[in-house]
Amino acid sequence: MTVFLQQTFNGLSIGSAYAVFAVGFTLLFGVLNVLNLAQGAIFMVGAFTGLELIKLINLPLPLAFVAGVLIAGVISVLTHLLVFGPLKRRGGTRWMGFIASLAVAKLLVGIAQELFGTQVLRYPSEPWMDASWTIGDVRIQGLQLVVIATALVLMLALAFFLRRTQSGRAIRTMAFNPNVARLVGVPVDRMTLITYFIAGCLAGAAGIQLGILYNAVSPFMGETILLKGLTVLILGGLGHVPGAALAGVLLGLTEVYSVSYLSSSLRDAIGFGLVFLILLVRPHGLFGTNTRQRA
Amino acid sequence: MTDFLASYDNVISLVLLNGILGIAAYLLLIVNRFSLATGGLMAIGAYVSVLSTQNLGLPFALALLLGGATAAVIALLLGLPVLRIEGDYFALVTLAFTEIVRIIALNWESVTGGALGIVGIPTETQTWHLALALTVLAGAVYITRRSWIGRVIDAIRLDEMLAQAIGIDAARIRLILFVVSGAICGVAGGLAGHLNFFIGPSDFGMTRSVDAVVYAVLGGLNSIFGPIVGALIYTVLPEALRFSAQAREIVLSLVIILAVLFMPRGLISLGGVLRGSFRPGSRKPAPLSLHEKGVPAE
Repeated sequence: MTVFLQQTFNGLSIGSAYAVFAVGFTLLFGVLNVLNLAQGAIFMVGAFTGLELIKLINLPLPLAFVAGVLIAGVISVLTHLLVFGPLKRRGGTRWMGFIASLAVAKLLVGIAQELFGTQVLRYPSEPWMDASWTIGDVRIQGLQLVVIATALVLMLALAFFLRRTQSGRAIRTMAFNPNVARLVGVPVDRMTLITYFIAGCLAGAAGIQLGILYNAVSPFMGETILLKGLTVLILGGLGHVPGAALAGVLLGLTEVYSVSYLSSSLRDAIGFGLVFLILLVRPHGLFGTNTRQRA
Repeated sequence: MTDFLASYDNVISLVLLNGILGIAAYLLLIVNRFSLATGGLMAIGAYVSVLSTQNLGLPFALALLLGGATAAVIALLLGLPVLRIEGDYFALVTLAFTEIVRIIALNWESVTGGALGIVGIPTETQTWHLALALTVLAGAVYITRRSWIGRVIDAIRLDEMLAQAIGIDAARIRLILFVVSGAICGVAGGLAGHLNFFIGPSDFGMTRSVDAVVYAVLGGLNSIFGPIVGALIYTVLPEALRFSAQAREIVLSLVIILAVLFMPRGLISLGGVLRGSFRPGSRKPAPLSLHEKGVPAE
């Protein structure tokens, strides 16, 4: 029972970071109908920016987090302005967009390799990270609590933005139907930029969260999270934001349970096995509603 | 000339092999299915054929056939339930298949050698085997696409509902193409397995599958030469950039981004445009409305 509770808590902290990443991923898909494989690279950019800001100008971690998140958002907007936007205007097919996003990911990873090398770097440890409390027999680390809390704050902020603000409603209209959105006067181009910005911010935030949780930052860290993001995307239903958040947490829990109760080599097989089975039974994902009601 | 061929033998083999994989992906892209099962099916072909030459002592040709046949059977079993899934969901379910195959190969140590893979495989594959396979394959696809089957495929690609309305069994055609593509991947896996002394699970993951699609889409889907040209460029470019090991990744990805931006319908589309302008009245290539369905206006 202790093991179970302990693993549940560990799973929650990892899962909430997955959820942050997946929500941005699924938002891009739901609103703009693009499967952007550069999201994993933006995740890596966020992790490196946060780390470099701490190391170079001694920024305290919370500030570095905010700055890293914003810079990741800006890079995401740039990828749209320089690559994905022009490609769409030139009539590139959906599959060309897929390849372009792969190339962008490669480019960002290449640049990171140039700047930071290929070895694994670590965030400097701070006292509150290692502080831990024991409740019952469960050990709770300060770091894990902070990760869960930031994830919650980000989710709530996003939910508020999407549900209660004018821009949020405009973005949800675009998710419903881009043509309708244009007809009722939604500034589609501006909203597209905002969507890319939010998705980039969320990817960057997840990058810093997982970079600290796993205590490892490397140019290639985006590849693993991309596979996990795709898994969560399916579990939650492509384009379904609350579904992605829930599925992210579930994936984190499944991973830690399968490591502690089955075998560590089965960890990734379970995620993909689930994806496979779910799509066979429900071809539009677990919470998927065929293109209707996205975001 | 022989020196040139000898020193670039490996690159030439890779180009030919990737061309074969590009065609396997192309065969599904032309019926609107973005398959990432390439890596998984290739792994099955590779392991089956390598194990049968090594443990059963089968001759190389027979082992290749066995690998191809096994992959085709798996493709049939996979395709039956999976092919009705559309769009990105299909891409993701086939990716899940590839990853599951990789994880099985990683953990089934008694047979596949686990993460260490299988070493000391006799290098049976000669460059001319690959060249022959690619030529025969490209020829067969070219002839098929010229026949009534090609027109059936075009009908499915351009408007599936209409195609079904005039009596085309789109699901069956798609399943046949998936099985054929699986067989090709299986044979390609066998050829790849006997090329480099070694196979391991990481040789056949997501990257393999995605790369195969990249060859086809980057090259262009209007013609069978698209996947081959795509494979040629995408394989040779990194070698050509070897002089600057540092910036290689950056330059390579920049080149691809530029290619995608300036030739959004694939590299081959350039040739199509030129030819079209020289021959007035020639049939324009069919508009590629690949997957740009969007939500219909209601």
